Amino acid sequence: MDQILNLMRYAAQSPMDYAAAWKERTGRQVIGLLPMHFPGELAHAAGCLPLVIQDDAEPITVGQAGVFNFYCGFNRSLIDQTMRGSFDCLDAIMFGDHCVQLLGTADTIRAERPELPILFNQLCTTLDANWAERETIGTFTQLWKELESLTGRAIAPEAASASIALFNRNRTQMRELYELRRQGRIAISGRDMQLVVKSSMVMDKADHVALMDRLLREIPRVAAGSAEIPLYLSGHMCHAPKPEIIDMIEECGARIVNDDLFVGWRFIHADMDEARQPVEAMAHWYLEKNQRVPCPTRTMQGVDWEDYLLSDVQRSGARGLVILMVKFCEPHMYFYPEIKEAFESRGIPHLLIETEHEEMPIEALKTRVETFVEIAKRRATEAA
Amino acid sequence: MENIVAMPTSKPVFGNGERANKLKSTRFGSKLVNDYWSGVFAAKEQGKKVVWYNGTYIPPFFHSHDLVWVHGEAWSAMLAARHREIGAQARGEQRGYDRELCSYARTHIGQMLIEMDKAKAGEDGLSLDDPRIEAMMKLPPPDMIVNAYPYCSSGQQWDDITYRVFGKKVPMFTIQIPLLWGGRQDAGYLRGEEWDQRSRYVADQLIELTKFLEANTGRRFDFDRLSETMGYIKRAAELRLEGMELCTARPSPASFFDWIVSIAPMSFLPGDQNIVDYFQGVKDEIQERAANGEGAVKDERYRLFFDGMMNWNKVGWLADKFAQVNACVVAGRYTHMSFWQEPQLIDLKDPVLGMAQNYLVCPNNHGAPIMIGEIEKLCDKFELDGVVCHASRTCRGMTNAQFLIAGSAKKYGRQAMFFEGDVADESFYKDELLNVRLEAMVEAMEAKRRAA
Repeated sequence: MDQILNLMRYAAQSPMDYAAAWKERTGRQVIGLLPMHFPGELAHAAGCLPLVIQDDAEPITVGQAGVFNFYCGFNRSLIDQTMRGSFDCLDAIMFGDHCVQLLGTADTIRAERPELPILFNQLCTTLDANWAERETIGTFTQLWKELESLTGRAIAPEAASASIALFNRNRTQMRELYELRRQGRIAISGRDMQLVVKSSMVMDKADHVALMDRLLREIPRVAAGSAEIPLYLSGHMCHAPKPEIIDMIEECGARIVNDDLFVGWRFIHADMDEARQPVEAMAHWYLEKNQRVPCPTRTMQGVDWEDYLLSDVQRSGARGLVILMVKFCEPHMYFYPEIKEAFESRGIPHLLIETEHEEMPIEALKTRVETFVEIAKRRATEAA
Repeated sequence: MENIVAMPTSKPVFGNGERANKLKSTRFGSKLVNDYWSGVFAAKEQGKKVVWYNGTYIPPFFHSHDLVWVHGEAWSAMLAARHREIGAQARGEQRGYDRELCSYARTHIGQMLIEMDKAKAGEDGLSLDDPRIEAMMKLPPPDMIVNAYPYCSSGQQWDDITYRVFGKKVPMFTIQIPLLWGGRQDAGYLRGEEWDQRSRYVADQLIELTKFLEANTGRRFDFDRLSETMGYIKRAAELRLEGMELCTARPSPASFFDWIVSIAPMSFLPGDQNIVDYFQGVKDEIQERAANGEGAVKDERYRLFFDGMMNWNKVGWLADKFAQVNACVVAGRYTHMSFWQEPQLIDLKDPVLGMAQNYLVCPNNHGAPIMIGEIEKLCDKFELDGVVCHASRTCRGMTNAQFLIAGSAKKYGRQAMFFEGDVADESFYKDELLNVRLEAMVEAMEAKRRAA
């Protein structure tokens, strides 16, 4: 198991090195994907390596010249990485989101790297509009053409279907791992679970599928029952929280049983319908996944993030919610009061931790988390 | 919650101590704005349905359908301009809205929460002579919510929260106005495949909006009335552009700040003869000043471009600030690249497509290369010496490309400067920082002039 995790760790911690080596080995192109909703399947079907671009651990230095300090750490990191030349091995970037900060980042990357193609196709955000399906199919059809133009090769529908099936399989594997964790049948740390999902965003899909087969076979099963209090992590909708925060939460006596993080359940929860035509399958995947795990950056009446969290916390057996809110993340700032009030009204303990790219005072946070864990334990005891 | 912060009545001495020579014709706008808000407050008594909306200038659709409309940004800007925003923002913060969130939204949502507090406590139903109405602190609740935000994702989320605060019962319609990225071979300002596709996409959504209005009022939408309304708006927009054109004169007869106070008539006031009269008056006064050599700034020596969202609680303050160093801010991205900026696109026989296109060319909805190209054209046209970027802390839609804008200004030999502030949260504004940077900018422009 250690060997498997080490391979995943390399890809997750050094995605651009991994991509450069892959490119060298295969002679094929690497396409960077910006979060949160763009499918990698199409780039894969085009014979490329789709790589979800990650925040890195470096402090923002040269990037300060291209972005204000009141932008979220992910955007600042993207600009910093661009200016440091970290994205040099990319052959193109696919943008599709409407986050206002990401739109600015797209322009800065274009200005800094004018030779790097940016396949910009903004997705429809009003998911319940009667034009949403038509528009989304149009967007993915346009992207299909642009990828063909970029690679100089036609993408066969059969190749797209095969990519969809492969990606579905990979997501299914990771969901199985999540389910084992939720049931308490495996002991996997939050840090390692992040590695699993993050590496799937970076690695050659077939390689990751093979690693997941091994991991699911080899990961030791444990007896159910644990002294730690089960907690749920929510937030970080674009990039991974620092593993040190997750370590710290677990060191305080908690066991993470589920999450709705982007580098987590949010990324793996939905599959594409293999019976549909590929573009249709992608469009339905995009339009429908919000009903399963609501995203506050989309608009869809009758679907509420706080309701989802209440029910998923309960389903997971968690006794408290830790909200990891990225500083300057506007959608999260808007919806946090909705979540807070919903959890307060149900008497479920919750804790807000604002995260930053730099300057995370882990020791100071630890006191808050220890207190929270004690509160959650006491409430759980009282409820029992 | 009362506003307990007393604003200073005197300003610290800066520069030559001069005041901006504001246009007098814009005072008519204050009357129009007051009349508009009075109409809003009387809406329920008059049995009219009320739409709350955010984003672009879509009121012609509401006007043509005999609805009363409330623009959330205008409301927040107005509260900020009257220094009545602090209580609203504090109420928002009390619910958990972080102060790094859009201050327009925080002000609007906070005031909404205050009104709901009152309603829950049985304190609503204020009489028309209530001082809070005089101070424009009471809004009729919405019968419909419409969101139509170009570029900025924050605006869509703001209205999602409004929808929730009102119990998820008010019908809501969300229009997507996507970014014109400008990445295809044929892309350019008002041209190219992307422009054509996006124009049609937004126009189709506007037609859907009329169906939404019909469904929620039980009345047919009157497209003839829309054409009639747009006739006034188109004429007013032409007059506004003609007035702006006259500001190529030296000294400039009007400043960016005069155009800032002229936004309301173009953005959300009813499309009728009043706005035509308003801009005719503005143009006439500018024409007269140009003929007499009268400038918006006494002894104009430097001419500047203002980039960024307005700092609404500092409009007069900033107008004087620049006048005090003999700098006239002649043009700006917010004023000169938006608000029916392309009236010739509107075909009065069938105005919807042209309306959609005007919504698409809002001041930040182009990818940076095309947007900056348009800024450079304005800087050349008005012969500007420098670019001042207002880094509005919580309005990232307007700060996004500012490093690129400043870089472009420098590339073309113009001085560039940043100052910090915000659209409606005064706590982010640091006066002394602006003072020293503006003084340094003036020194640099002077040195460059001497060297030439």
